[in-house]
Amino acid sequence: MKENFFRSMTWLHTWVGLLVCWLLFLIFFAGTISFFKDEITYWFEPETHTVTHQDNRLAKQRQQINYAVEQLQNKAADSSSWRIYLPEPRNPLYTYSYAEPKQPGQRRAKFTETYLDPTINEEIAPPRETKGGYFFYRLHFDLHYIDVRTARWLVCLASLFMLIALITGVVIHKRIFKDMFSFRKNKGSRSWLDAHNVSSVLALPFHIMITYTGLITLIFMVFPYPAQTVYEKGLQQMFNEASPIRARVESSDVPAPLVSMNTILDQVYTKSPDADIGFFFIRDANKESSRVSVYLNTGKEVVDNGAAFLFSGSTGELLAEQGKDWSASARFYDSMTALHAGRLASPLLRWLYFLCGIAGCAMIATGCIMWAKRLRERLKPQQQAGVGLKLVETLNLATLMGLPFATASFFIANRLLPLEMVARADKEILVFFLAWLAMTVLAIISSSKRQWQLAAWLNALVCFAVPLVNAMTTEGNWISYLLTQKWTLFCVDFGFIIAGSLFILQGKKLRTASKKVSTRRFQKPKDLKEQQG
Amino acid sequence: MHSQSIDAVPSQRPKNVFKKRSVSISYRISVFFRFIAAIFGGYVFTSVLISLLAILLPLNQLDSVLLTTTLSVFFYSCVFIWVFAVKSLKRVWITILLTTGVQFVILSLIKGWL
Repeated sequence: MKENFFRSMTWLHTWVGLLVCWLLFLIFFAGTISFFKDEITYWFEPETHTVTHQDNRLAKQRQQINYAVEQLQNKAADSSSWRIYLPEPRNPLYTYSYAEPKQPGQRRAKFTETYLDPTINEEIAPPRETKGGYFFYRLHFDLHYIDVRTARWLVCLASLFMLIALITGVVIHKRIFKDMFSFRKNKGSRSWLDAHNVSSVLALPFHIMITYTGLITLIFMVFPYPAQTVYEKGLQQMFNEASPIRARVESSDVPAPLVSMNTILDQVYTKSPDADIGFFFIRDANKESSRVSVYLNTGKEVVDNGAAFLFSGSTGELLAEQGKDWSASARFYDSMTALHAGRLASPLLRWLYFLCGIAGCAMIATGCIMWAKRLRERLKPQQQAGVGLKLVETLNLATLMGLPFATASFFIANRLLPLEMVARADKEILVFFLAWLAMTVLAIISSSKRQWQLAAWLNALVCFAVPLVNAMTTEGNWISYLLTQKWTLFCVDFGFIIAGSLFILQGKKLRTASKKVSTRRFQKPKDLKEQQG
Repeated sequence: MHSQSIDAVPSQRPKNVFKKRSVSISYRISVFFRFIAAIFGGYVFTSVLISLLAILLPLNQLDSVLLTTTLSVFFYSCVFIWVFAVKSLKRVWITILLTTGVQFVILSLIKGWL
């Protein structure tokens, strides 16, 4: 569209990047945090912090399943759905739950959950009502307060733009290796360009992988057409063929006693002797149409849909099995979702995922700041900034500083909101968005360097407040976590201390920068959110 | 990542969209239609292409669907970038409409829709 290919790609890179950068920042930011979704949920439920990891986790699974089924028989023999979640390396608890009868107008039945301490096999008080890390997980592809389908289409479009920006970014980049090592400090927008290059190039394979595979996770919503052309009944038929264990049967009312779980478990352990069972679902227990599905954990394999078995609950017969004889295409597709979700990541790899995610946030942030800086530098001395430039500057401040602020406030809300509050989980989320709104108002008032500085101080304040409030409202604090080696809790608290320190650094840098009123327009490449660990 | 273009021609940078007066209405309209071509044209083109491939590939049903659907994003991005790489907007639209049309006719003949 421009005079030459290179120019066209430069233009395209700038505009696809700028158009969606704030939405992308939200997606990357929330997505990066959700790599630690389980750990954050654990931090959010201090009632469970006394539970310790059990020894011989695998050896106890049979007994735990039998115990839970026994309890469910007593409590909810005619519920349509039972679910048992066994302890796993990232979560010491085990829970069982059953579906309440559906109320009219409800899309999904509500589940009543019971939490158990596996070491003593006793119930513990249900933890406070909270969404925890799950909130960030949903936020990064469902957004919030808007229709889920619309949100997902928006997220897909933004991801496509991201992919285009990445590809064109590589195309217009002539010195990819050299730029890895060049950082020109205190050179205005040139420094921002270098920061943008470094954060992009260092983690480039990750950026491309995570964007492409992210689109793949929602691909059947975007492109259902091949399935619809090939299969008579479209997507549903394809899914049934792809994973027969998910096929639904009509519920019958004919009563039939549930077989002993040992009959089923014996078959599982014969097929897969060192099975690590993740969850265990029973539908229509005590009816003829009863189905038992057993899902195994995937461990470190690059597989998202791991091995799973479907049994008849009334006869104990094995009906279907998944995870054997995958074809190359099926593996290709499945490994993509596996790579994106990173469930396979052991602690070290998980941290690498997290750091790359932060690099992604930094890449997006430096990109949109650089755009505004460029235009500012090009303004003539008495020239007024245009509407577009002002809008971008406001959105930059509101998003880049607002999201860390909202996140820290969300963590504080979890500790400070009264426990007996109605719809407490939603109130926590409301605090998140109110905090973000507050930062947006701040940005609308002005987006000058002074305002950035104020935002940095505020962010530092809330970040330091998190471990402080935690120490005052719960039994533990970050020093006791260190002494008792509760690394998950320690890392969350310590993550906020690091983030707070970075914001102080940023504030100081901004102060020295704004004192020199000179022509030098420069801020330290903002250390983006070390939001939590 | 735009350092090269700045270094090369500092004085004659391409028109900046935010310097209002220097951007004509026709330029804005052409940019708008290019985005339409890239987003919607690319989408329809990709949809028809992968549906056709899913039928033509010598694989079983499930495999061909999974493979083509997984590759869809790749095709989509290629078309998207191509739309902006070509100089003439008219050529972009004609190419997209023609190729999509031809593929659609072939697909319809195979499926017996026509």
